Amino acid sequence: MRKKRKAIYAILAATLLGSMIAGCAGGKSEGTQGTEGTADNGGGEKTEARTLKIMAGVIGGKTPEENGLFEKEIERLTGITVKLEKPASDYDKKLLAAVSSGEKFDLLQISKEKMNTFIEQGILTPLTDKVKGSETLSDPNVIPSEEWAQVETKDGEIYGVFTKYQGGTMPIVRNDWLKKLGLPEPKTLDDYYTVLKAFVEQDPDGNGKKDTYGLSTAGMYELQGFFSAAGLKQRYVEKDGKLDVPYSTDAAIPIYEWLAKLYKEGILDPNFATNDTGKMRDLFLTDRVGMITYWDAWVGMLNNTRKEQDPNTEFEAKGLPGAVGPDGNHMLRRGDPDVWVIPVNAENPETAFEFIEWWHSKDGIILGSLGIKDHDYTEQNGKYELTQTGKEHAMDHGVPFWYNKNVEPPFGKLPGVQEAQDLLAKYASLELTPPRWADAEKIINEYSFKAIMGQMPAADAVKKCGKS
Amino acid sequence: MKAIVKYRAVYLMMLPIIAYFLIFAYYPLVRGFVISFQQFRLIGDRPFVGLDNYAQVLKDSAFWDTFANTLIIGGSILAIGFIMPIALALLLNEVFASWFKKIVQMVVYLPHLFSWVVVGGMWIMMLSPDTGIVNQLLLALGAEKPIGFMSQEAYARPVMVFTAVWKEVGFTCILYLAAIVSINPSLYEAARIDGANRWHLVRYVTLPQLVSTMKVVLMLHVMSVLKMFDQIFVMRNGAIAGKVDVIMMYTYQKGILEFQIGMATAAGFLVILATLIITFVIRILIRYDEE
Repeated sequence: MRKKRKAIYAILAATLLGSMIAGCAGGKSEGTQGTEGTADNGGGEKTEARTLKIMAGVIGGKTPEENGLFEKEIERLTGITVKLEKPASDYDKKLLAAVSSGEKFDLLQISKEKMNTFIEQGILTPLTDKVKGSETLSDPNVIPSEEWAQVETKDGEIYGVFTKYQGGTMPIVRNDWLKKLGLPEPKTLDDYYTVLKAFVEQDPDGNGKKDTYGLSTAGMYELQGFFSAAGLKQRYVEKDGKLDVPYSTDAAIPIYEWLAKLYKEGILDPNFATNDTGKMRDLFLTDRVGMITYWDAWVGMLNNTRKEQDPNTEFEAKGLPGAVGPDGNHMLRRGDPDVWVIPVNAENPETAFEFIEWWHSKDGIILGSLGIKDHDYTEQNGKYELTQTGKEHAMDHGVPFWYNKNVEPPFGKLPGVQEAQDLLAKYASLELTPPRWADAEKIINEYSFKAIMGQMPAADAVKKCGKS
Repeated sequence: MKAIVKYRAVYLMMLPIIAYFLIFAYYPLVRGFVISFQQFRLIGDRPFVGLDNYAQVLKDSAFWDTFANTLIIGGSILAIGFIMPIALALLLNEVFASWFKKIVQMVVYLPHLFSWVVVGGMWIMMLSPDTGIVNQLLLALGAEKPIGFMSQEAYARPVMVFTAVWKEVGFTCILYLAAIVSINPSLYEAARIDGANRWHLVRYVTLPQLVSTMKVVLMLHVMSVLKMFDQIFVMRNGAIAGKVDVIMMYTYQKGILEFQIGMATAAGFLVILATLIITFVIRILIRYDEE
């Protein structure tokens, strides 16, 4: 019996050892492949095939079938044969698995945050010279010059090119409720309190019940529009080469106290800690709450949703610039942009860059927004008409908004969006998100929630948060 | 060797299964183990860094926080989730109306069939401070104000333990009920002749006869206790994350959110190691191999 057991252990050990050797060998060969890919690209003289392998999270068709049509449409418009992989879910996981298993892509669509990680790993092709030498991309009408600062590294290198115009977040108010209650647009934190309290107490939906909240959020997702009252920027700021978290400083105490007052008085939705953004939007759309904090694009989508349900609705969502700061300025948050990047092992990097340039042309923008000709829309004498499929896809195939001023939106923008975007252009700036933000965020959230829900005095919470 | 030749057809039939496990279980496991010693890059060379990833994980206070949460939540689920199904099975065994017994069995088994996305979402809704049924009941019973079960640290872990036990109690209960059915009726008869009452029958006949099932159930639960992920992923929020984030959330954060695959795999292997140790200790404690 013992001998038999020993034999089984021996077989198991041999299997494990064999697989381990195989594993080591695999790793080595992949490493070599990567290096070879870079060397090839450095050759420069090689003629490239006009084919591209792309992986994207939001760019492409809405279904696998439409994705096939999307690939054909790119080929029709550019002459480049494209294989576009667009996972239905878990994009980051699938991107990680595909790239690390040795699959070679010419183009990847990733967020700026992921781009920073990839730059750190040295796996992206620098595009600085190409961007500066590109007639299309260096045109400030196509991409405003000041926007490039968003994707530049500290040493001025550019590794990614915007896939679309990325908006930002802001307080969104029920403007029809403001009008109904005869309230002016709030400017200071005190004004906000007055408005939000009125939304709770003055029955803005007119159903005779006290069933409305002033403000709802999805956790600590987006409170920049209120912390602006103390002149505090969300996440990190860099001061004299040192990173600081303004939300964990003493200056943040009055804002936490203000939020705690809202929570205590039932003005802040009691489910704010457990809400996801979907629940928060539902509350806004179903007349349960008068203000949420969300993306500029959603001002239009919220208005449109209610308009489609009832063409005579009085519902009117409107973006606000947030509470004014001590210096008289507002402070909103720009979202991290999505970018096209070319990995170092791309087989056709020149074609990939040609595609990026095309993506910012009229044809590229129409494909990324309206979608596929004769499937999502039809065009006659320069006049566009959406098909039923096109209407369902809401003019978003990865590019709901774009920078190129030479390309006018064929159907205009949804109500309220332009005003919201104007506010962002005026007041919003990017956040600084260095690696390990997730760890810091957890600590900030923990103490922020305690302060807001009255489980700890704001001053103690800030002190402990800063210490952690 | 002779046996292999003699039963070669059987061994041949085993090959696909062995291949399946080698390709989909052992190969990824070994690759993961190798990666845990590398400075991982998505493309290009991945230099070996010895035990750096393990050292980094072990030095990370977030790892130890999540480890402590895992032990507290997992340990509580293990203990309460061990007792509750036995109690339920014994109670159901005493029910004479079979229609009632079947209905209860079905109702308590149902949650096991749903994924955590459904169960978690349902409980978040039921525990909501404004529209949740639990708080409505508490207010009706005279509570002063609603309780934020999902947003207050004091309730966070008990809620996770309660919902986990609630979801699985029916399934485990059925295992015990099946074991109870197979107990030799003559044991009960002999006990009754000896003057045993209903409590004596449960205490001295049913429970001892369930020991081997208890051992299997306990071992299965012990092996999965550190793997807890879905429930926490669905039910956590920023307010309670510090109290409920478990070790698999840590590997998810490192691996998928931060792309620090070396650290994530190192943490994953520490979980495997801890599971091995805990399993062996429990095996010895409960004398698993003894009849």
